[in-house]
Amino acid sequence: MEGQLKVEKRDVIGQYKLPVDVRFCSKCTISNQRPRISFDATGVCSACNFAEYKRKHVDWNEREKQLLELCKQYRKGNGEYDVIVPCSGGKDGGFVAHQLKYRYGMNPLTVTWSPLKATDIGRKNLDAFIGSGFDNILGTANGKVTRKLTNLAFAHLGDPFQPFIYGQANFPLHMAVKYKVSLIMYGENGEVEYGGDEKNAFRPDREVQDQDKHYFSGLAPEFWTEHGVSVADLKPFMAPPHEEIVRNRTTIHFFGYYKFWDPQENFYYCTENTGFTPNPERSEGTYSKYASLDDRLDGYHYYLGFIKFGIGRTTSDAAHEIRDGKITREEGIALVKRYDGEFPKKYFDEFLEYCSITKAQFDEIVDSWRSHHLWERVDGAWRLKHTVWQP
Amino acid sequence: MGAGRWRLAAEAHRLAALRNTRLIARLDIKGPNLIKGIHLEGLRVIGSPNEYARLYYQQGADELIYMDCVASLYGRNNLRDIVESAAQDVFVPMTVGGGIRSVADATDLLRSGADKVAVNTAAVANPGLISDIAQRFGSQCMVLSIEAKQIGPARWEVYTDNGRERTGLDVIEWVRRGVTLGAGEILLTSVDREGTRRGFDVPLVRAVTAEVSVPVIASGGMGTPQDLVDVVLQGEADAVAMADILHYRRAAIGDIRAVAQAAGLHVRTYG
Repeated sequence: MEGQLKVEKRDVIGQYKLPVDVRFCSKCTISNQRPRISFDATGVCSACNFAEYKRKHVDWNEREKQLLELCKQYRKGNGEYDVIVPCSGGKDGGFVAHQLKYRYGMNPLTVTWSPLKATDIGRKNLDAFIGSGFDNILGTANGKVTRKLTNLAFAHLGDPFQPFIYGQANFPLHMAVKYKVSLIMYGENGEVEYGGDEKNAFRPDREVQDQDKHYFSGLAPEFWTEHGVSVADLKPFMAPPHEEIVRNRTTIHFFGYYKFWDPQENFYYCTENTGFTPNPERSEGTYSKYASLDDRLDGYHYYLGFIKFGIGRTTSDAAHEIRDGKITREEGIALVKRYDGEFPKKYFDEFLEYCSITKAQFDEIVDSWRSHHLWERVDGAWRLKHTVWQP
Repeated sequence: MGAGRWRLAAEAHRLAALRNTRLIARLDIKGPNLIKGIHLEGLRVIGSPNEYARLYYQQGADELIYMDCVASLYGRNNLRDIVESAAQDVFVPMTVGGGIRSVADATDLLRSGADKVAVNTAAVANPGLISDIAQRFGSQCMVLSIEAKQIGPARWEVYTDNGRERTGLDVIEWVRRGVTLGAGEILLTSVDREGTRRGFDVPLVRAVTAEVSVPVIASGGMGTPQDLVDVVLQGEADAVAMADILHYRRAAIGDIRAVAQAAGLHVRTYG
């Protein structure tokens, strides 16, 4: 850890603008502690309302027509890439890339940002995806710098995953500029599907500059120069210069706007079309075997989310499966009770070593993010004050 | 293939022809719905369980398996109503499993119309439950359900909670122990093959049938009727459980039976 960092108690409420009065959505398992989510007067969260809206009121034939228009507008037909598809080799990016290429006649360049520490199954899936018929560029930053940033991000932001998120969001922009491709197509807009800033609910694209606010917790990669990381080292994590993005007419669209977004159906689609295989066992902290399985260290990202907001991976997974009609709220609650907040112990030693911290330092940082409105200490152990089964 | 191998294959074939191979329709249930996944993941709603059960009964299934595959995952058991209503118009043996944690749970299901009960997660947690059920109702009633996942060459590990939790138990050792405790039949599901249509895990089935003398039902991976022939002849399965191939109407039980017969397997025939 850098020098003798004194870990101060964090102001989680202020930093993330959290409501002090914890409430749970009456339809799913999410609480109002998810940053930027909103609840309506009947106690239903914005993500559930959006899920209903998309089932009942969106004319998907009309949306597909818009997609055909968009493709027509950007299709080059001269052998050059005409769309960038960010993809880890998982079921969601795989679905988008495969549809764009084989159904809509686009020529996608798929781009992948390296996980902090790849899992075997993740690597296998990426290979299978490429093997199923795609060009791919894998971006990997200097490992030493990535580790340093992981350490800093964990210590200062309480999220070891921030460096990965920088690359995941900014690398596609670099590739767009470099290959003169104006269109970047993401899968779903998480802000809309899972609850967040609703201004994007009725548009197919998003502002490139929302990146810092929505994905980087307000801290762009440049911030870390204050902690002694050089601009050269940060360059791969940073977005290309703004004027280059503009000159390239770069635009970011979401496939979930044009086509009904159903992660489970993406799983079926990719099992059939891109050689996707789910994890041999469930990921720690949730019940799912097919989502977010390519990084050995992402468990700590989800775990810190559980500490800061009381919302672990199971709560999020169950919430969107409830919205998708895959499980009932009762089933979701049973899963949250059973798996949420489970400590990711499988790769813990590896994580500590990767971050160059001790277990005591880890605990100290984790505890600094426990807000008094969410946590209490009972018989020497931390316990959530409010749960979805005991609000 | 050398002469010795030929002789063995011919012998297996002769035995298979003598044995009655049972064709079993497997219905995985979640809540009120018939569901199906791939590797027990991504459970897709297929329809109403009893509609499908009636269809498979009419098509000539020898038995049905009802499995509430997520009962343990959710800590509940709620197959009773579905079984009760199925028992009204399905007149072939029904095996029911999922969330059975006690002799009382088993009693409940048997009273509702089940002929056998299948236990997985609770048997791993408490192997004594196998003997308790076998002693109370007889071994023929006690089906040990095993979710097996390959972990090395000719090595498989027992999973529970619908293929989500590892147990550290070796499948072969667990089968041996289960039979000693009183299991009268094994329902052997390959997590690796389940829902993939890539054929049964024949070496897994063979490893288990070689170990125990009780009937073994092979489950998971049937892509074509020929896969059934392979797992019976090479794996020496006594029965096969079919789900995906039936639910997605890729073949009807009658067609499958005809292929089995043409391959020389002994299956039930209709007058």
